[in-house]
Amino acid sequence: MLRFLLVMSFLLAGAWQLGGAAWLLAKAHLAHYLIDDAWEQQLRSGEPVRPWPWADTWPVARLSLGGGRPLLVMSGSSGQALAFGPGLVENSGAPGARDRNTVIAAHRDTHFNGLRDLRAGQVVRLQDIRGRWYRYRVSSSRVVDSRREQMPIQAGPGLVLVTCYPFDALSAGGPLRFVVHAEYLGAGRSQEA
Amino acid sequence: MDRTIFSGQRIPRELVVLPTEEYYRRRYRSDRRGRWLLLLVTALAVVVGAAGSRANVPGDTVTREVSLAQAGSGDLLFRTGGQGSYQPAVHLNSRAVLRVRGLLAEVELEQAFENTTGSWQEAVYVFPLPAQAAVNRLEIRLGERRIVGKIRERQQARRIYREARAAGKRAALLEQQRPNLFTSQVANIAPGEKVHVTVRFLMPVGFDSGSFSLRLPTTLTPRYIPGRVDAADETVQALRLDGNGWALPTDQVPDAHKISPFMQPAAELTASGSHRIAIEVDLEGGLPLADIHSPYHDIDFKQAGGGTYAVSLRGGDAVMDRDFVLRWRPRQSALPQAALFTGVVADDAVTSGGDSRDEGHAGRAGTYLQLLLLPPDLPGKIRRLPREVIYVIDTSGSMGGSSIRQARDSLLLALSRLQPGDRFNIIEFNSVTRPVFPRPVDATTENLRLARVQVEALQARGGTEMAPALRKAFEQQLPGDETLVRQVVFITDGAVGNEAALFELVRQSLGDTRLFTVGIGSAPNRHFMRKAAQIGRGASITIGDIGEVSARMQSLFAKLEHPLVTDLQVTWPKGLHVDAYPKKIPDLYRGEPLRLVARVRGPELHGKLMVSGRLAGRQFRRELALTPGREEGGLGSLWARSRIEALRDRQRTVGEGSAAGEKLRDNILQLALAFQLVSPYTSFVAVEQAPVRPKVAGLANSPVPNAVARGQVLQRQSYPATATGIHAQLLVALGLLGLGAGLGWERPPRRSSWRALRASVGRRLRHWLRRWLPDPRRARLTLEQQLVRAR
Repeated sequence: MLRFLLVMSFLLAGAWQLGGAAWLLAKAHLAHYLIDDAWEQQLRSGEPVRPWPWADTWPVARLSLGGGRPLLVMSGSSGQALAFGPGLVENSGAPGARDRNTVIAAHRDTHFNGLRDLRAGQVVRLQDIRGRWYRYRVSSSRVVDSRREQMPIQAGPGLVLVTCYPFDALSAGGPLRFVVHAEYLGAGRSQEA
Repeated sequence: MDRTIFSGQRIPRELVVLPTEEYYRRRYRSDRRGRWLLLLVTALAVVVGAAGSRANVPGDTVTREVSLAQAGSGDLLFRTGGQGSYQPAVHLNSRAVLRVRGLLAEVELEQAFENTTGSWQEAVYVFPLPAQAAVNRLEIRLGERRIVGKIRERQQARRIYREARAAGKRAALLEQQRPNLFTSQVANIAPGEKVHVTVRFLMPVGFDSGSFSLRLPTTLTPRYIPGRVDAADETVQALRLDGNGWALPTDQVPDAHKISPFMQPAAELTASGSHRIAIEVDLEGGLPLADIHSPYHDIDFKQAGGGTYAVSLRGGDAVMDRDFVLRWRPRQSALPQAALFTGVVADDAVTSGGDSRDEGHAGRAGTYLQLLLLPPDLPGKIRRLPREVIYVIDTSGSMGGSSIRQARDSLLLALSRLQPGDRFNIIEFNSVTRPVFPRPVDATTENLRLARVQVEALQARGGTEMAPALRKAFEQQLPGDETLVRQVVFITDGAVGNEAALFELVRQSLGDTRLFTVGIGSAPNRHFMRKAAQIGRGASITIGDIGEVSARMQSLFAKLEHPLVTDLQVTWPKGLHVDAYPKKIPDLYRGEPLRLVARVRGPELHGKLMVSGRLAGRQFRRELALTPGREEGGLGSLWARSRIEALRDRQRTVGEGSAAGEKLRDNILQLALAFQLVSPYTSFVAVEQAPVRPKVAGLANSPVPNAVARGQVLQRQSYPATATGIHAQLLVALGLLGLGAGLGWERPPRRSSWRALRASVGRRLRHWLRRWLPDPRRARLTLEQQLVRAR
């Protein structure tokens, strides 16, 4: 009898965990259809559009890390925003801002998994809500301890991508962060893909 | 005969199979296995629970630390620092030598800036000084060479400094941002070079309840900047690129970028050998002392004879993360009832700058007096008047760490002093203001209990919007009931950038209330504490350590609960032209002496000074012979500093930009130039004649950070959590499902697992039902039998 209860509890707990993970993945990937729509609408209208009526975040930029589908960057780096996509950190500059750098953070296991493949010299592009693309060149990447260091929000143009480190760590909430610095190259053509 | 034995069916002995050893072995083994399984399951359940709860809140750890930028409109920006980790390029170490003569302390603060990089540097250091410091000398020392600074009008000094910097000359500039906050800039420090900048200032020695004290701040609590950043403003845009502070100017604090130096944990700074201060104090009070101690530092002292003591820090130096305070108490019998110090500045006095500036000398001539007089002691027991006290407690982010604990303890202690008949209320404020009760309530046991519960739950977070809280505190007290003594006790660290506006608010809405300030933390803003209490006609105490709460609060209670010395009048002998400060003598709380700084012109000092006042309904009168006593240098500077403060107070009430304000500005400027004092309108600038930096070499600007005050939490923008833990979650799910399936599979040998499951569920259900439903075969009670029969 005990065994039966055990089996059932294992199965239930397993299903719960699986469901949780699936929900996160689903949020990360499925919500993109809605966010994509919102972004397109936003490019046309120039007004912030919430992807769904009760959303507490909205897309503010599009980020292209070389190969692959461009990622839509959400406003804010709260947990809610990061669940749906990379987040533009509060108080950091808008894409292409000259007076302070742009800092974008994302989960290492969903959107920024590709960050480890970035190499110095590679070009990263960022599109603002007016559809204008800006180009940045990866200058360096390093691992920092978030307990000791502040977010590198600086008074100058530039792009900083932040994610957790190590990439393959099992548990969340570690103190290390992987930080990629990219220098500003200039604005690209308006509707470059 | 055979007797029938009623017994069960007999089993022939040879047919009985007794359990073999093998049976027991197997049985116990399986039992043990079951126990292990149970343990495993429990452990797993715990792990799963933990993992699940963590995985479900990936965003919860995002910004535990409140960033200043979120707390208000101030913005967090690093200027340099390359890749984000900020290592100060210029190291700073200080050395302070304090000489105490009578009621005056002369301080030489030497700041050693050491360039640790390979490029030429300009150091910018925003640092605190005591609230009443009269800064009258600046000097650069390079090895053996000394360059003495000159006092200049602020803009002019800036210009001289900028030109020297551009020309590659060594230069230093000392500006006042607040009466207790200064900026020193040193240009063209060569790679690897060490430049010493010496700032000399004078300050009055504190006296309260028979004990003298000195306070030398070494770091500051980051000031909250209220107001809105006007991003469209061009000057703001320019400042963003040029600012040395983390804050941007707002409509309420236009100089926010100048008063918001970067902060760094003390451990990081001292690890690289920076931010240590050596302190030496020479006490020449001339009084035999009963006690001498420093509440926040370990000190050594030795008596040099003749009432002179030499005090130094144990171990030589200390981390610059807290105020240095020294208290000394003369023997009760040796304590004089009055003390008078005089100093003469002749017409042909040479200024301390030692240069050829002639104008303004005439303004300095005169005899300067410093006076301390103790009011009479209270006659016997005093009836305690019922009070209405509004406690205002600052729960902003800057109070985080040990400060909020000190504040909570102080407040709880204050609540315990209330007696039936008193009325009270508590106002908590950070970004918003929250009174505990809508109106002041009677100090009943129930109300006090309610208040205590609320106070114990106070947490420090958010901004420091002080103005609404103060306004609320003053309007709490309805006019009408004249029998109550009205008091506001304001518990805060004073970390705000808009002090002047708050002082003005206090002055205008004070009414007949009195404002008492309790300064909290390792590095409170003493200027705010002192000035707010002065304008609020109250008193101020400072608590820097949790162990100090009780003793310091007792001295506040003594002030709150005892009658004041009022109607103080000072009458000077005829024929003397006297300009004394403070102009209007404040009422004295218990333990406070009457203090005056005066300039006397005219004939020689003669005659008697008469002081009269009223205490607990009785008139008293004191006389003091004015004799040209000991010559004390520096009294002139102290007097000028007091006069500047009085002029600034007037300027604040009329508005700095108004015509009257402009006139006062000219007065201050002339006074400061004549006395060689740093003021809001005058700065010291020192320039070496010969350029040292080659034209080709660039000059980097590096702000020198201040150490985070001890016990405080560095407020900074932290990294967000950037992992969902999805891998771990998937792995756990997989493991659990596998384990469950494995266990379920193993049991039935032949039947399919589905049937086994169904059978086991059925069995379990029947068993369970049997316990709750009546069984017709075993019906015993009549009711049950009836029920069975009825079926």
